[in-house]
Amino acid sequence: MRLINLIYGDCRFQFKYGFYFIYSIFTIMYVTIVLFLPLEWREKAAAVLIFSDPSAMGLFFMGAIVLFEKSERVLSTIAVSPVRADEYIISKVVSLGIISAISGASIALSADAQNMLIVITGVIAGSALFTLIGLIVAVNINSLNQFVTAAVPIEIIIFTPPILYLFGYDNKFMLLHPGCVIISMISGSSDYILFLPIFIIWFLFLYKMARINVIKMFQNLGGIKL
Amino acid sequence: MIEVIDLSFSYNDRPFIDMNFSVKKGEIFGFLGPSGAGKSTLQKILTGLIRSYKGNAIVNKTECKSYKDDFYENIGVDFEFPSLYEKLTGRENLKFFGSLYSKKLRDVDELLKMVGLQNDGGKKVSEYSKGMKSRLNFIKALLHNPDILFLDEPTSGLDPNNSRIMKNIIINEKEKGKTIILTTHNMVDATELCDKVAFIVDGNIKALDSPHNLIMSKGAAKIKYTFMDGKEEIRECMLGKTSEDAKLQELIMSNRILSIHSSEPTLNDIFAEVTGSVLQ
Repeated sequence: MRLINLIYGDCRFQFKYGFYFIYSIFTIMYVTIVLFLPLEWREKAAAVLIFSDPSAMGLFFMGAIVLFEKSERVLSTIAVSPVRADEYIISKVVSLGIISAISGASIALSADAQNMLIVITGVIAGSALFTLIGLIVAVNINSLNQFVTAAVPIEIIIFTPPILYLFGYDNKFMLLHPGCVIISMISGSSDYILFLPIFIIWFLFLYKMARINVIKMFQNLGGIKL
Repeated sequence: MIEVIDLSFSYNDRPFIDMNFSVKKGEIFGFLGPSGAGKSTLQKILTGLIRSYKGNAIVNKTECKSYKDDFYENIGVDFEFPSLYEKLTGRENLKFFGSLYSKKLRDVDELLKMVGLQNDGGKKVSEYSKGMKSRLNFIKALLHNPDILFLDEPTSGLDPNNSRIMKNIIINEKEKGKTIILTTHNMVDATELCDKVAFIVDGNIKALDSPHNLIMSKGAAKIKYTFMDGKEEIRECMLGKTSEDAKLQELIMSNRILSIHSSEPTLNDIFAEVTGSVLQ
């Protein structure tokens, strides 16, 4: 019940702070762009748009969310409440996953994507992965400038291989990169199936890292820094 | 309710906390000390956030480094600075934070009324004044009816009227059997509210007793008098040694005293005497 309340609280926070409004605008914009493209371009263009935005928005939004939470000091209260680090992380992943899924599905529909279930699964998997990465970065920074500085090299590492993969450099070993697995799913390809276990290992590794960093953040609120 | 036995904590390989004390159920226990003395770190140990300590820190029969999931159900913390969602209303904040507990909650409207916010529960917190945020933050700590309250500067930034209301609520919570840990720089509040106070400097307790006992054991009442001697002069002497003060005798005999006041030392004076530092 607490986890559901936490997810509801995060969704309300994201709504009140305008995240839903911003994403409604972006989604309408992306759908319009896709609809204006020639039919043969639509699928790949939609895959790139979904991967680089609705799916990856956790990377950017986690910076804003955690900075808001830090500036309003609500993390201090959460740290001394029954909320566990796991619940805090899952709540962020699920709440942002909802926006990603709705936005991603809308863009995919506009491109007449064939396998919507796999596309949406890919968007949610990508959103979870990017949210965890965003969380790991966000808990270690104190300003938007620091976040942007830290996020840019991560973006290059995460975004370049999947885009190369989508546009022809489709060596199967590229699927060791979690972003390539995600873009493979989002583009409706079945290449990802053999590499799902590797994606799961990446996910578990990032979850563990996020957990360590969130616990450290809770411990460092007020008093000495451990 | 709280037992701290041979508690030590090192930070960057240097000892930082080293103390023993206990707090009984229904007691208000004050931690007084300058910034950086270790009060927040001690609070983090007692609220289970720091687990790498040595010795024992037992809160509500639970060793803080190995607490179970329900540990926080019975702890309420009022931080010095408001920890509230600014874009949510006061009532929404209370409902959200309350939803994180599995215990039966206190009535939100009753709590708002208790601190004079009954007409402001529907306003966004960003529209609240500093004092209103402090009051909302305070009742947030009471919401889940915890057995132990950690209050950090609860009257800071409040006008005298609201400060009085908050102190009455604290006394009322104590009467209900709540154990309260009060961290403050305000010696007047500490003297009025605390059953016991501990002076903390550099992670150590320099003195621990009731405010009354500390004042009576470490200090003595003085009298201060003024008189004209070309210009206005001020002198002091201990109340028990007035007969030994020749100048005072002379002034009394010649009716030349302009003013005379007796004064007991304050907790602040005792703190300065014991620790060698002054609280702001």
